[in-house]
Amino acid sequence: MMMFRIGRRAALLGSVAAVAAPSVVRAQADPIKIATLTPLTGAGGSYGPVMAKVAAAVVEEVNAAGGVLGRKVVLVSEDDQTNPDAGVRAARKLIDVDKVAAILGTWASSVTTAVAPLCWENKTFLCTVSGADSITLLPHQGYLVRTQPNTVLQVTRTGEFLVSLGAKKIWTFVPQTPFAKSSIEIMEGVAKKAGGTHGSLIYDDKKTTYRTEVDQMMRFAPDAILCAGYTPDTVVLLKDLYRAGYKGKIIGQAYAINQKLIEQVGQNEVVEGVYTYAPSVAEGSGALARVKKLSGLASPDPYTSQVYDHVNMVLMAMAIGKGATGTVIKDNIRKVTQGGGKAVDNAVDGLKAIAAGEKVDYAGASGPCDFDDKGDILDCKFLYEQIKAGKPVLVKIA
Amino acid sequence: MLNYLLFIATIGGIYGVLALGLNLIWGGAGMVNLGLAGFFAVGAYVSALVTTTGHLPIPVGWLLALIAGSIAGLVVVLSTTRLREDYLAIVTLGFAEVVRLVAANEIWLTKGSDGISGIPGPGKAALGANFNVAYLLILIVVLAVVFVLMRRIDRSPYGRALRAIREDAQVAQVAGKPVLRFKAQAFALSAAIAGLAGALYGHFTSYIAPDLFLPLITVYIFLSVAAGGIGNPAGALVGAYLVMTLLESARFLVEFIPYVTAVQRAALKELLIAAALILVLRLMPRGLLPERIPRAPQPQTGGTT
Repeated sequence: MMMFRIGRRAALLGSVAAVAAPSVVRAQADPIKIATLTPLTGAGGSYGPVMAKVAAAVVEEVNAAGGVLGRKVVLVSEDDQTNPDAGVRAARKLIDVDKVAAILGTWASSVTTAVAPLCWENKTFLCTVSGADSITLLPHQGYLVRTQPNTVLQVTRTGEFLVSLGAKKIWTFVPQTPFAKSSIEIMEGVAKKAGGTHGSLIYDDKKTTYRTEVDQMMRFAPDAILCAGYTPDTVVLLKDLYRAGYKGKIIGQAYAINQKLIEQVGQNEVVEGVYTYAPSVAEGSGALARVKKLSGLASPDPYTSQVYDHVNMVLMAMAIGKGATGTVIKDNIRKVTQGGGKAVDNAVDGLKAIAAGEKVDYAGASGPCDFDDKGDILDCKFLYEQIKAGKPVLVKIA
Repeated sequence: MLNYLLFIATIGGIYGVLALGLNLIWGGAGMVNLGLAGFFAVGAYVSALVTTTGHLPIPVGWLLALIAGSIAGLVVVLSTTRLREDYLAIVTLGFAEVVRLVAANEIWLTKGSDGISGIPGPGKAALGANFNVAYLLILIVVLAVVFVLMRRIDRSPYGRALRAIREDAQVAQVAGKPVLRFKAQAFALSAAIAGLAGALYGHFTSYIAPDLFLPLITVYIFLSVAAGGIGNPAGALVGAYLVMTLLESARFLVEFIPYVTAVQRAALKELLIAAALILVLRLMPRGLLPERIPRAPQPQTGGTT
């Protein structure tokens, strides 16, 4: 037994040394450090990689233009595996070992809720794209902003859009998520206010068929359906709706009903006429054009646009506050995003303007990026599209 | 850096508690419990709920987590008395999914997929930055108590009887061992320990949600016990820290690989962990610290079994 004990100690010591060594190597330079914590694997694995890529590209541009406050910016990218446990461990490493000033781009609401306390306790700034209403209600002391409109804003707008199309009986299909219950309540409110009726069903997003769910919905005979799921479950749901012969209107989030979904469904008649809505990426803005260039995508998703905004806002906030800590970002982020000044759509121009002593007002790729005291965006435009012959066609931006 | 190491040591210790519990029934009685995450969740939720909405002190939460874990364990084991091996594994896996789905859907109780945030940590406000040190110390004490208990069981006549059941339940039955009672006791104790680990986790990270209790954690613990040495409590403990060290050090190793994107780095990290574990099991099929069955003492006249 004695021999084993020594073995265990040696193993522990060895592992501690292995973990400790890289930080000693790294501690010599003095760059500004920020991090992305996006899902590179797991359920969010189709969104995170391009988010990390765009963030890295922005940092590269800023460094090429001289960095922030004369210091180089280093971006560390970690994987949250779309899992709160892995996310917390990664965030711990980013905060304690890399000592980053800000963590950007947390995607799943559960990961964001798990990581947020670590951030505010350690005065690290957190920018998220998670939509759950509860997130900005956490006691985050200002160390958190999100660029994704919350559920209230999203569902209210969607419901009003359906009503404007003449919907009277609205049905909500939503997977069990932090926004499930509030989505239903809000949609019900919108439908009642317009003199209509509303039915709903919460489903499990890991099922392989939704025949029974669709049957239950057909009994209600709605003339419009909100499908508020993600891509994999919405593929199955749309197919089952088509099989059941449903002829009314369907609307879903553009992040779920996207080109990938159309390809996976494989038959254009299944998705013909389906509406999509998205917190509008600021179509036509300079910022979005830059995101397109940096990501190499013709139509970048809202999350990629948002993480582009995160990097730009955070770097400019550091420049205005003349410091590279989470607290500086917290105190200055609203000075670069709102309140008037020179309109800028990227950090390189913004940093020049700030260095010249000008006021700046950042308008990003995901929208105007103005925040209230809780860290929610004040307003954003929504983009409505309709799929025709396998291609999304613009309906309106409002 | 120090805080990070303390954090990893604490999470590793919680994995260690889970591994010790699993080793008791998997290594000891040969029962495969793929529902470990479910018992972990039961403990985490019970303790979180009674200390947040119930406003009870944290030690009471831990005690209730132990009790809730053992009750859940008894329910599962007594409803599956006829099942062994693969069949038991499937049912326990199902149990864990049921717990997760209840946690996700019974919003009035568990706040659904929002999860429960703001779970109090013992003395967190007063200790401030020293909280991580204090919690690690608490955990070491718990780990030591559980470890001593497990080793005591391992070397006792009771442990030998469990091993007899593992090797051949029928023979053990014929030899006059109350097989069902022994299995139920061991399973309930193991589930209680998993429940305690869940409570320890919740009060440390201050947040729990159904997403935490996916089967992934069960897989990690099975890997820990397999790599450390099935049937040896010390092996389970070493295995848990080995898995945690692999998970975390892979993060730093891949940073040194040039010319790869963040996604490739994440994939390489997973690959590295898998390769290391395969290597351990290839070179040491019985784990780092293989089970050693001590000779049973010579029976006195009349026998003492």
